[in-house]
Amino acid sequence: MSPATLQSTRLPLRGSRAKQIALCIVALVVIRLDAAEVIPPKPAAYFNDYADVVSKKAAHRFNEQLAQFERETSNQIVVALWRTMPSQSSIEDFTQRTYQAWSVGQSGRNNGVLFFVFVNDHKMRIQPGYGLEGALPDVICDDIIRNRVSPLFRTGKFEEGLAAGINSIFQAIRGEYKGSGKTVKEQHTGGGSRLPLPFFLFAIFVFIIASRLVRRRGYYYSGAGGPFIGGWRGGSWSGGSSSGGGGFSGFSGGGGFSGGGGASGSW
Amino acid sequence: MNKIAIGCGAVLAGLLLIAVIGGIALAGSYNRLVGLQQGVDSQWAQVQNVYQRRADLIPNLVSTVAGAANFEKSTLIAVTQARASVGQVKLDPSKAPTDAAQLEQFQAAQGRLSNALSRLLVVVERYPEIKANQNFLGLQAQLEGTENRISVERGKFNEIVQAYNTAVRRFPTNIFAGMFGFQPRPFFSAQPGAEKPPTVKFNFGTPAPSPAPTGSP
Repeated sequence: MSPATLQSTRLPLRGSRAKQIALCIVALVVIRLDAAEVIPPKPAAYFNDYADVVSKKAAHRFNEQLAQFERETSNQIVVALWRTMPSQSSIEDFTQRTYQAWSVGQSGRNNGVLFFVFVNDHKMRIQPGYGLEGALPDVICDDIIRNRVSPLFRTGKFEEGLAAGINSIFQAIRGEYKGSGKTVKEQHTGGGSRLPLPFFLFAIFVFIIASRLVRRRGYYYSGAGGPFIGGWRGGSWSGGSSSGGGGFSGFSGGGGFSGGGGASGSW
Repeated sequence: MNKIAIGCGAVLAGLLLIAVIGGIALAGSYNRLVGLQQGVDSQWAQVQNVYQRRADLIPNLVSTVAGAANFEKSTLIAVTQARASVGQVKLDPSKAPTDAAQLEQFQAAQGRLSNALSRLLVVVERYPEIKANQNFLGLQAQLEGTENRISVERGKFNEIVQAYNTAVRRFPTNIFAGMFGFQPRPFFSAQPGAEKPPTVKFNFGTPAPSPAPTGSP
C-alpha cells in the first residue's frame, strides 16, 4: 500500500474518467443529431431514388411520366425512396413535415401526392394534399399499398411495384384537375428558354448551309463558327431538350398543403 | 396676436399629424390582430372537422366489429360511451374557445375516445376473422388516416394560436389589445400516451439488403 499502488489505481481511474467524458460528448453529439432533425431538402426531380434500388433508366422513365402527368393534370406527385427513414419520429409525422417543406401540389388546389418508400424499414406511405383527399381517400391509398405495391415489393420487384403504385395513383386522381401543359418549373423558367422544336431544326439547317457556304469560299468556319456554336448551345440547348423526351424534367413545388391524409403500410 | 395664432396653428397641426400617424399605426395593428384571430378561428373549424370525421366513423366501426362472433362487449360499450361523451361537449365550431377550461374539457373527452378506440384496435388483433374483413380493413385505414389528420390539424392550430398570442402580448400591441377584446387563446397541450397508443415494435427478422454505413445505432 504505497504511492505505487495508489498511482496504479488512480491511473485507470483517470482513464475511465476520460472515457466517461468522451462518452458524454459522444452522447451529447448523438442527442443533438437526434434533436436537430433534418428534413430533406427540396428534391430536384419527381422521382428520387436515394436508396439505389431502381435502375437509372427506370428512374428516368418514372420521372418523365410524373412530369408529364403534371403537365396534363397539374397534379404533382413526388416519389422518394430511402434506405431508412431519415428521422426518429413516426412515418406519418416525417411525411407531413416533408410535405410542407417541399410544398407539393399547386397553391390553391393543394393537389400534390407524396409516395415515400423506406426500403430497409419495409415501410411506405402515400399522402395526398387537401385537394386530392376526395380522389385519393385513405381507403384507396391503403388498397394501393396493400394490394398493388406490397405483393411486388415482397418478391423484390421494386420497379414493378413502383410502376404499379404510380399508375394506380394516376388512375385515381387523373380526372380531378386540368393541367396547363407546363410544370411549375417550366412556368418559372419562362417560355423564352424553351425554344420550340421547329426553331431548333431551323437553326441546325441554317448552320449547315452557312458552314457549306463558308467552306466553298475557301476558308474554314472554325473561327467564325466557334462562338456561334457556343452561343447557340448556351441559349437553346439546355432549355429545349426537356420536351424532346431524352432530357430531364426538374421538379419545383407549387405551394400546396396537406392535412395528413393517406395511408401507411409495410411489406 | 397673429404670431400666437400661427404658433397655435402649428402646434395643432403637429398634434393632428401625430394623431393621424398614431391612428394609422393603431389601425394597422388592429387589422393584423383581426386577421390573426380569424386564422385561429378557421383553424379551429378545421380541428372540429377532423374530430367530427372520426366521430362519424364510429357507428360503422362498432357495427362491423359487433358482427363478429362473441366479440368482447365491454370494449364496444366503452367506445360507444366515449363517443357519446364527446358529443356532450358542445363548443362553437366557428369560434375557437377563449376559455382554457373549456378546451381542456373538449380535449379530455376526445382523449377518452382515443383511448377507447386504441383499446378496440388492440382487442381486434385477437380476432382473425375481423382482421380479414374488407369492410373492417377499410374502416381501419380511415381511422388511422383520421387520427393522423387530427394530430396534424391540432399541430397547425397550436402554431397559429401561438403566433396570435405572441402578437397580442407583444409591446405596444398589448396596451390596446385588451381594450378591443383580443385575449390570448388557449391551445392544445401534449397528452403523452393519451393521443396515440404506444407502438411496440420488435424488428428482429428483417435482414438489411446491404449495411447502411450511416445507420443509427
